[in-house]
Amino acid sequence: MKIHEFVGKKLLKESGIETPKGYVIKNSDSLQVKFLPAVLKSQVLVGSRMKAGGILFANTKDEFFTNASNLLEKEIRGEKPYAILVEEKINIKHEYYISLYIDRIEKDIKILFSENGGIEIENNKNNILNLSINDYKKLPDKFHDIVIKLHKLFTEKDLILLEINPFAEDENGKLIALDCVMHLDDNALFRQKWAREFVNDSYPFHFVKLDGDIGIIGCGAGIVMATMDAVNLYGGKPANFLDLGGGANSNVTLEALRLLKSLNVKKIIMNIFGGITKCDEIAKAIVKFKNENKNLPIFVRITGTNEEEAKQILDENNIAYFDDMYEMIKFAIRGEYQ
Amino acid sequence: MINGNEKVCVQGITGKYGKFHTKKMIEYGTNIVCGVSKNNKVTNIENIPVLDNMFEAVKKYKCDTSIVFVPAPYAKSAIFEAIDSGIKKIITITEHIPIHDMIEIHKKAKEKNITFVGPNCPGIILPGISKIGIMPSSAFKPGDIAIISKSGTLMYEVSNYLSKKSTGIKIAIGLGGDPIIGTSIDEALEFVTHLNPRKIVIISEIGGNDEIIGIEKFLKKGYNANIQVFFAGRTAPKGKRMGHAGAIIEGYEGSIEYKENKLNNIGIFVAKYIEELLEG
Repeated sequence: MKIHEFVGKKLLKESGIETPKGYVIKNSDSLQVKFLPAVLKSQVLVGSRMKAGGILFANTKDEFFTNASNLLEKEIRGEKPYAILVEEKINIKHEYYISLYIDRIEKDIKILFSENGGIEIENNKNNILNLSINDYKKLPDKFHDIVIKLHKLFTEKDLILLEINPFAEDENGKLIALDCVMHLDDNALFRQKWAREFVNDSYPFHFVKLDGDIGIIGCGAGIVMATMDAVNLYGGKPANFLDLGGGANSNVTLEALRLLKSLNVKKIIMNIFGGITKCDEIAKAIVKFKNENKNLPIFVRITGTNEEEAKQILDENNIAYFDDMYEMIKFAIRGEYQ
Repeated sequence: MINGNEKVCVQGITGKYGKFHTKKMIEYGTNIVCGVSKNNKVTNIENIPVLDNMFEAVKKYKCDTSIVFVPAPYAKSAIFEAIDSGIKKIITITEHIPIHDMIEIHKKAKEKNITFVGPNCPGIILPGISKIGIMPSSAFKPGDIAIISKSGTLMYEVSNYLSKKSTGIKIAIGLGGDPIIGTSIDEALEFVTHLNPRKIVIISEIGGNDEIIGIEKFLKKGYNANIQVFFAGRTAPKGKRMGHAGAIIEGYEGSIEYKENKLNNIGIFVAKYIEELLEG
């Protein structure tokens, strides 16, 4: 999960990395000016915040109140801000870029470093050093101690990305982290208690809203994505990604079906290959849902663990099902049956 | 990877999944010799002795392989114990193991020259012989096709197709879909090649490009094999996490467009539908 800048800055500070002086404003009632000039930064988790108007400056009190109220209300790339971060303005002499990330191929932590920070790093690949964490001594001397601190923070806090862009050098030669992007490993939340208050875990399954009108449901991320792909290939548009995960029971399945219904989908495609998941649990949910929603077409493919029991339940309730996922999807989208 | 002669220990045998799948594996013919659990009240499951630790399992029962069902918060210490006990192969089913734990586990396993498969994977099956895993065995008819998969349920789906409509499965290895996995694609390819399969099917998803690097590495070593690839997530939106820890398009190199182009350029067939894997 992505970590808000103000939380990241706090962690950096605790690790001994210099950050600008600052404070957080959560709503318009608590607006107050502590210093000027100030930088006002919308606390959203989307990228390219600057370009989207999420960072404003204030030289006067009037400017401060106008811009701060504006930012508190403003959605940045579709996201409402959590708060705004007010920071002192730093006079920058030079900008660097540094990030720590996890390399899948080498299965270890690596460093990206550039002498030229502040610009779009993706378009500046030739000027970037890409080093193993153990080779940090190849960086300019003044970054050695910083990298040791960042590395400690990275492992202790279970981060999978830590990016400081820009890492500014001020007129006195002091290195100050002006912005930071942190991604935390979701699987490590059980031991990273500081991050829990920001977790937004509203469903007992994995759900992503998409633009189309066909509801998709399945168990296993891979099979749900393969189902979405097939719906697209046959000319349909998925309304969502919904992975029930392994071992979903009938209540969770029913909750998932009801969520899709609330998206006003035209039809629902359900692709179940039960491994840990028991098909009869799924079938019970389908029957209940079908009784509540007689006019919403639902196409079911069901196979795997407890398949026979599931099919009996569906037969008894006159609900049709398929054995093959592509036959089901073709039929659901094009009305063809082979 | 596995040959069917393993002496297997189940780590976390007293848990819900450990217990259930121990029974299923025994029914399939897997040579489960003991289990290990930190729950010291249970001494026996499915007539299999339950021990306190891996050292005992290796010493008393000469285990060479362990299958891990221990929950994620305790998985690292369980796996470290297995490595220290002198085990040769570890297959980890547990999902949600933190990435930093996996980096440490991978380093330690590599140092000790241990075969580590997973985590968050369905395991390995030699259809008709043995399975060290949790896959529904009815989807795996014995045959001549090798499967290497980074997606659990998709491995079942594809194997089921190839079992019903093609010549069946010689071996299926679930590597797991996490960003850091113990066995990489090229290592799995090298292993299955030695079994002389008629063809090798690789199943993966959006995110990362280790399949591409793995296949290139394998071919550069001079191997020649009939390889087909299927990806899920062609139509997944950029930047959204699709359920899995691994399934997120982080940049162009994780996109299927990029991966498919790369593979087509080196003459590898990429299927758009699972059904296309029936050909060739």
